[in-house]
Amino acid sequence: MNALLTSAVAGLTAGGTYALLGVCAVFTYRLVAVVNFTGAAIGTAGTFVLIALYEAGFPIWPSVVAGIAAGTVVGVLIGYIMTRWFGEASASTKAAVTVALLVGIIAIGLRLTGGQHPHNMPELFPGSAFRMAGVEVTIASVLTIGLAALFTILADLFLNNTKVGLNLRALADRPMAAELLGIRVQLLSLLVWGMTGAFTTFALMIIAPQRSPNFMTLSLLAVPALAAALVGLFRSFWRTLAGGIVLGLVEGMASSVDSISQYRSAIPFLVVLAVLLWSQREARWDEAR
Amino acid sequence: MQWKSSLLAAVFAGLSLGAMAGTASAAGPTCKDGTIKVGAVSTITGPADFSEVPKATQAAFDAVNAAGGINGCKIDYTIADDKADPAVAAQAARDLIDNKEAVALVGSGSLLDCAVNSATYSRKKILSVQGLGVDAACFSSPNVAPVNVGPYTLSTAMAWYATNQLKSEKLCAFFIIIGGTREAYKKAIENWEKISGKKIHLIDLTLPFQGDLTPYVIKARDAGCDAVLTNQVEPQVVQLIKTVDAQKITGINWLFLAPGYTEQVASALADTRQPIYVGTEWEPFTEKSSAANAQWAADMQKAGRPLTAFSQGGYLAAQLFLKVVASIDGEVTRESVTKALHEMQPIANPLSGSAYVFGTAKVHSPMQATKVMKLEKGAWTVETPDWVVLPQAK
Repeated sequence: MNALLTSAVAGLTAGGTYALLGVCAVFTYRLVAVVNFTGAAIGTAGTFVLIALYEAGFPIWPSVVAGIAAGTVVGVLIGYIMTRWFGEASASTKAAVTVALLVGIIAIGLRLTGGQHPHNMPELFPGSAFRMAGVEVTIASVLTIGLAALFTILADLFLNNTKVGLNLRALADRPMAAELLGIRVQLLSLLVWGMTGAFTTFALMIIAPQRSPNFMTLSLLAVPALAAALVGLFRSFWRTLAGGIVLGLVEGMASSVDSISQYRSAIPFLVVLAVLLWSQREARWDEAR
Repeated sequence: MQWKSSLLAAVFAGLSLGAMAGTASAAGPTCKDGTIKVGAVSTITGPADFSEVPKATQAAFDAVNAAGGINGCKIDYTIADDKADPAVAAQAARDLIDNKEAVALVGSGSLLDCAVNSATYSRKKILSVQGLGVDAACFSSPNVAPVNVGPYTLSTAMAWYATNQLKSEKLCAFFIIIGGTREAYKKAIENWEKISGKKIHLIDLTLPFQGDLTPYVIKARDAGCDAVLTNQVEPQVVQLIKTVDAQKITGINWLFLAPGYTEQVASALADTRQPIYVGTEWEPFTEKSSAANAQWAADMQKAGRPLTAFSQGGYLAAQLFLKVVASIDGEVTRESVTKALHEMQPIANPLSGSAYVFGTAKVHSPMQATKVMKLEKGAWTVETPDWVVLPQAK
């Protein structure tokens, strides 16, 4: 029992990461109606700009700012592709396009960053915050969970209580109608892409030192993040937040049970499957009524 | 008259001996069209880049060609990229064997060449002096004999080093299992148990290729491991040690295999105080002044190639192959090369701790020795100046 608690707490670091990236994915979906597979890759691109500058001898914080700026630019670039050419496409087409873009970004990223060779990733927030069940809970993982919660609150307030938020929701639901109402669709969309780009970049910068420091592994954090978003059915920020953290805890616990730990990386997919089946079941009930 | 006929007989004998000696010195390897065709199947693009292995082989062959070749025969070397794709790898091997008419494969370094092509090599009766054996099939096929120690023998050797020299009492092993490597790693640990007479304290075959490693380092700590052996590759070595540092774990020796032995890992882990050991495949490449490295380093620098462990593998494969070819009397064909490799005597080279021999065994892992490096303040230092040789690993 104690071992299980220990491994659950050990999974907290991963959980915070999934929650943070998951909340970003829900944000993108609710505002520009794209299931975005490139989220983590955008953040990774920005993070590698930080690494390159840091390795070249620049001081940390100016490099962080430059990295976030780069992440924002990549986010806007992808947003431009999505709104310019796929604005009217169906949700599934848009998702497929972001998968293709993810593969492209990883291929370019791996080539530019020297493949599997590790890099010297500066720790922005080193040290541990407290010790629980024999596990050091790092400042970085507390920060990711805190940021995920903060982003959740802000996103909720922004979407429900501001005019811009209202406009953005209109934009996601009926882009054509929104345009006819005089909402500046293109500009607002790019704003959303840029904002999530900046935010995920900062998130990845916090997470990266604890993960395998190469382009592909960081970009593929998109998978558990989208699983978390699915727990919130791409609508609820709070459920996504909880989904991400629970996913991390379950993964952590799974690694302490020998018979299932080898299937540990499949857990996000099982969660996806379970949620999809659950949501289908509701649809059937609705039909039956 | 007796003495006259004896003298005549002696003269004749002398003459015929001389004639025989004459034919022997005039023989040696010959070739049609003045070339010996050799190939390599390597992963160059895709998830990994092993191109430094065959490129070093190429550099060694170029040097021989520039000096006139072996007995006038130039080596025509083709490197095929398998893109880490089984279909492409199979195609590449068939092209080298059937169209290019390669006499042997030398200096291949690939994620899946052995697994995909070893059956083809057996069928076509062609042998591969693998520059870098990666997958388990490289060490379990009759037609492939790598010039590197390989992850499995190296696991046994590092475990042996941990108990024999670091005096580890509770050795733990964490392995990433990709493809069919599960049995090979289990066997590696069983071999160590036989040699050392000890039992593994904890073995975990579920280490993830990507994902958070915190639960695993906690598990190692809570199990009371005093040494942990893992087969993590470059970036994960960095991730593991950073996670260990974040968890403030002390008192565990961390043992890795050759993929962890790079300059990038050393610089990324410059700040850690964890005791980190890696086993090398060959004479440590970072020892620039080592006499064993001198010839390799000089040849690589002349060819403008980087001094890496991979390039040692490719270079060593070329040197061993050249020696075997030079021993052939008559035309160098696939048959004569295969025969020469099957019948060769062990050849020693200062780059490796064991003499290389191909032979006719069903499986080959001729290399049984490693040198252990320790990471200290961002630089690798030699921990064992003498080779750590496995006592009867089989």
